[in-house]
Amino acid sequence: MGNSCGSYQRNNQRPKRMSEFIFAINEADLADGGKSLVEVEDRLVLIFRIGEQFFCIDDVCTHDGGTLADGNHEGYEVECPRHGARFDIRTGAALCMPAFKPTQVHECQVTEGKVFVKLS
Amino acid sequence: MTQVLEKIGFHEAGFEALMDSLTQPEWLAEMRRDAWAKFNRLPWPSGRDEEWMRTDIRMFNLDKYALGNGGTEAFPEGTLSEGVELSGRLVTVDSVPRVSELAPEWSKKGVLFGPLSQLVNEYPDVIRPHLMARTYDSGVDRFAALHAAFWSSGSLLYVPRNVVVNQPLHTLLALSDGSADLSHTLVILESGAEATLLAESCSLENSSGGVPGGFHCGGIEMIVGPGAHLRYVNLQDLGHGVWQFGHQKAIVHQDASLQWTVGALGSRLSKVNQHVELAGAGATSQVNGVMFTEGKQHLSYHTLQRHAAPHCRSDFLYKAALQDNSRTVWRGMIKVDPGAQKTDGYQRNDNLLLSETARADSIPGLEIEADDVRCTHGSTSGRVDEELIFYARARGFTRKEAIQMIVTGFFQQVFDRITIESVRDALGLSISRRVREYE
Ligand code: FES
Repeated sequence: MGNSCGSYQRNNQRPKRMSEFIFAINEADLADGGKSLVEVEDRLVLIFRIGEQFFCIDDVCTHDGGTLADGNHEGYEVECPRHGARFDIRTGAALCMPAFKPTQVHECQVTEGKVFVKLS
Repeated sequence: MTQVLEKIGFHEAGFEALMDSLTQPEWLAEMRRDAWAKFNRLPWPSGRDEEWMRTDIRMFNLDKYALGNGGTEAFPEGTLSEGVELSGRLVTVDSVPRVSELAPEWSKKGVLFGPLSQLVNEYPDVIRPHLMARTYDSGVDRFAALHAAFWSSGSLLYVPRNVVVNQPLHTLLALSDGSADLSHTLVILESGAEATLLAESCSLENSSGGVPGGFHCGGIEMIVGPGAHLRYVNLQDLGHGVWQFGHQKAIVHQDASLQWTVGALGSRLSKVNQHVELAGAGATSQVNGVMFTEGKQHLSYHTLQRHAAPHCRSDFLYKAALQDNSRTVWRGMIKVDPGAQKTDGYQRNDNLLLSETARADSIPGLEIEADDVRCTHGSTSGRVDEELIFYARARGFTRKEAIQMIVTGFFQQVFDRITIESVRDALGLSISRRVREYE
């Protein structure tokens, strides 16, 4: 058993930055239609890939702080596994009850096969 | 005196190194081994556990921390003791005792006060019946087991029968950046005894100017004997990079009283279980909680007021003001056992949200198995009233001053219950310094 309380991709051994964009994940490590939980600067975020597009949101459901990492996602929507709230991964908007506040979105940029994130 | 000289990590080799470095009675060594086995058996708490689902610890990594060596850094004086005539003082830095004083008049009367790890060798008969017996369960979660295995230094206050210590005692726990502290506090008041203990924790300034981080995993046990009276104040002002976990429990016996004041201002994330058991008829307890959060702080308090005997009174009031993106979680439970008739239980949590993005969750609960009781609970959450700000500004105050006044007014109800002036002043000042201006 490890001594870390979560399993996710740690990127702290790769401190590359492009201005305020911070390296999050290699493009090749995220398949089309997939999502990955990544630690960026002391924050857990979710990166989604749809075709050549990448999206990043906080791993936080605004209903009651649930983690979206374990939820199902389809198209541009991710569902919170706790009570079923859904969020738009492009805008963070809450799409249905019980959440009504948006979750935070972060800008993504892909350069030379690497996905960078600018934390909002 | 026992000193941890090398940094000791939280793994098998670290545990063995700690055991080699400690001078302790065999029963205590056994207790630690048992707790270490529990740590290795238990999983980390997860978001699937009801108690942890609002408290995300996935970013916590135990391997980043080690028991420090106490260094030689200067430490602050502490704020709770300002202007207070003390009967004793204890300072630890990264779990290593740096100051330990008790006025001779009290030691002559049999009062014990100092580092627990040292006194446990000198007074095992006083300590053994209580240490991690009824007031600490090392199997409740992985942090509790880790604490029971690795605790070091800590503090002991023992007041013999009918001794009234009329000047407060003060403990200061300082944590250096990146270090771990697993101090254990044990307070024993024999029947008819009285004492006031002011305990505060803080982080030492980070030499690089960054936010001080670290790991604090504490345990507090208080035994208030029949007819005894204890006032205990705990001010937590750790750096905003510190992970804090704590299990705290008091047992209040017949006709005894406990006034427990909590000031929770610091840490990156705190998860604290606070439990008061009223174990003898006529026991009373009052808990005053003051929380102020900012930035991305997350403070999670889980309180339990357990009525195990009849004719007892418990009164818990927690007030929290939150700014920026911070979050508080308060889960309070009043539990009344079948025989605890004529119970009078009260719990309340009020939250003042100073920003749009702060969030406070209140989950009060009752579990009553007796049929002649009075138990009430309530909670409120609200934003700063713009009309009040307008009113204050029309009288020449700035917006910031107006907000500071509103925040002070919000906390007044709980400040009025705190009977120690230096504590009221320290809390009031720390909070008003933190309040920022919001549009
Ligand atoms: S916590 Fe996500 S829907 Fe309730």
